[in-house]
Amino acid sequence: MIPLAADLNELALGIFALIVAITLGITYWASKRTRSATEFWAAGRGITGVQNGFAIAGDYMSAASFLGIAGLIFLFGFDGVLYAVGFLVAFLTVLFLLAERMRNAGRYTIADVLSFRLNQRPARAAAALGTLAVAAFYLIAQMVGAGVLIQALVGIEFWLAVVVTGVFMLCYVVFGGMIATTWVQIIKAGLLLVGTALLTILVLNRVGWNPLDLFSKAEARSEDGEAFLKPGLFLPKPIDTISLGLALVLGTAGLPHILMRFFTVPDAKAARSSVVWAIFLIGAFYLMVTALGLGARIVLGSAGEEAAGKGGNLAAPLLAEALGGGAGTVGGDVLLAFIAAVAFATILAVVAGLVISASGAVAHDVWSNVVRHGRDSEHEEILVARIAALGVGAVAIAIAIIGGSGLNVSFMVGLAFAVAASANFPALLLALTWRRFNTTGAVAGVLVGVVSSIALVIMSPGVWPGPDSEGSPFPLANPGIVSIPLGFFACWLGTVLSREHRAHRTFQELYVRSETGIGAERAATH
Amino acid sequence: MDVTTGRSVDWERIERLPEFRELVARRRRFVVPATAFFLIWYFGFIVLAGYAEDFMGTSIYEGFTVGYALALTQFVMVGSLGLWYLKYSARHLDPLRVRIAEEADAATAAGETATAPDAHGVHEGRFDRPPPGAVEAPPAPARETEANR
Repeated sequence: MIPLAADLNELALGIFALIVAITLGITYWASKRTRSATEFWAAGRGITGVQNGFAIAGDYMSAASFLGIAGLIFLFGFDGVLYAVGFLVAFLTVLFLLAERMRNAGRYTIADVLSFRLNQRPARAAAALGTLAVAAFYLIAQMVGAGVLIQALVGIEFWLAVVVTGVFMLCYVVFGGMIATTWVQIIKAGLLLVGTALLTILVLNRVGWNPLDLFSKAEARSEDGEAFLKPGLFLPKPIDTISLGLALVLGTAGLPHILMRFFTVPDAKAARSSVVWAIFLIGAFYLMVTALGLGARIVLGSAGEEAAGKGGNLAAPLLAEALGGGAGTVGGDVLLAFIAAVAFATILAVVAGLVISASGAVAHDVWSNVVRHGRDSEHEEILVARIAALGVGAVAIAIAIIGGSGLNVSFMVGLAFAVAASANFPALLLALTWRRFNTTGAVAGVLVGVVSSIALVIMSPGVWPGPDSEGSPFPLANPGIVSIPLGFFACWLGTVLSREHRAHRTFQELYVRSETGIGAERAATH
Repeated sequence: MDVTTGRSVDWERIERLPEFRELVARRRRFVVPATAFFLIWYFGFIVLAGYAEDFMGTSIYEGFTVGYALALTQFVMVGSLGLWYLKYSARHLDPLRVRIAEEADAATAAGETATAPDAHGVHEGRFDRPPPGAVEAPPAPARETEANR
């Protein structure tokens, strides 16, 4: 059985300690290599394409993907797969529309690209707002998820679990910057892939090595019978399914911590190949997670539903325990501890990526360029970046503890994707491709995107007027189908209604730079 | 001064270069149909999942349903289009970028701001690339990613 908060899982703690020791060692090494702003936010642009592919995968595959999707498939069958497919297909949007252009035109943050040819201060402020909104919602969701998970798996109190996660996250970012963050993400991606592969092999062993048997055997173990293999158990409203799909496939291209990774490679070519590496790693991961969700249904059956908790988040750890030989056996304990440690590493890597992207928005965008008009020294910029990381991290830890384990995590993640797709993505895409686009359009688009996403989520079922309520003002759980067109519309309307004489630089310059890489930031030479 | 920082590069002149126009046209020739294709394939899947539950739940083999089969095609599509784009970029886009950078370097070195020389036109009017179709996306060998690194 999964240990309750009262009894500590020493083995899991031991593996945690090992992972933490290794990552802190890396952080120490990275801290000696982090002196300039380029090193702090972009790892000196010395990360190779393969490394960045692993780091993107490590930045992206959150505990929500691993435990959440496995749990959804375990509980609701097919609908969980829709998330996996959406999260993966989204990388084609990133590859075709943004990855190379971001690398060619930006330095540290997405605001660099958005404000390139617009009025610096308003455009940067808007982009920083979009970045901070996404990072905040995503970060709080991850912190709460971390608290709940570690509490269940290791047996320490919720608040302590949140504080521990937060402190390590801040160590990596404040001392080791992007270099440490990158290596934490690479190690995590490796651990997560090894962990899921191990479980997948054990699941396949259970069903006699024929993956096709997973489906019929899972169906036989579900009380929903045939419906388990059909869509509709988790997402009964078709229009909600489509709205979700839209937010997933466009939202990833507006996630600041993912886009920021493209500034860490030497050139656009490496940015491009890193996306394809990430696609293969993440694709393999989601295929295995699907097998694990079905495997959990086969092994745990309906009897396991209660133990798996709300959303089925503990289905994968329970599966590990059962496959290892069951509760109380050595194999079961070891496998459970290993998967718990992998989940912990997973969370650490994602929250570190989020904090460093938020620190870029606060220090590089708001402080250096909006407040100080670019007149501050590089030394000051990095100092502010570290303070900003501390501040953002402290606020996230505080909100996670005050909100407590009852905070609705999936609604926060949905909100992060909705804001990314409705505010960041339209403005970025139009800044790079639409000659007439201007500052008013960018500011209007980001504001409308942020406000409409938040407002529609607050008015959605499950939030307003209370959980599982009828009669909420907005009928859909996922706002994307309304808020994304609104974001684009506001960009257009703001642009056509205003006239600007003074732009920062010309569209031609951005256009030529983003397509050719001429004048792009170079890798730091050591 | 030099193209590595972008200072004193004549952006307008580069934008008018035939090589630059060709680069943009070739990139579009891949990206526009590929984006349209993947969005249609993906939203086709999502719409079917929303509105055609019974069709998606039809068993093809022992409980392996149409829905799971279509989900699997999404994985294949993403991998194939990704590898194809790497190959296409290396073969058809990167050489043009190199030539444009050389052009820009030469121009800024000579301090000239004159209009684009037409002699340097694009030799191969490559319009032979078919739009990325559904099935014929060639899953290039794995070393392709290595080679492009």
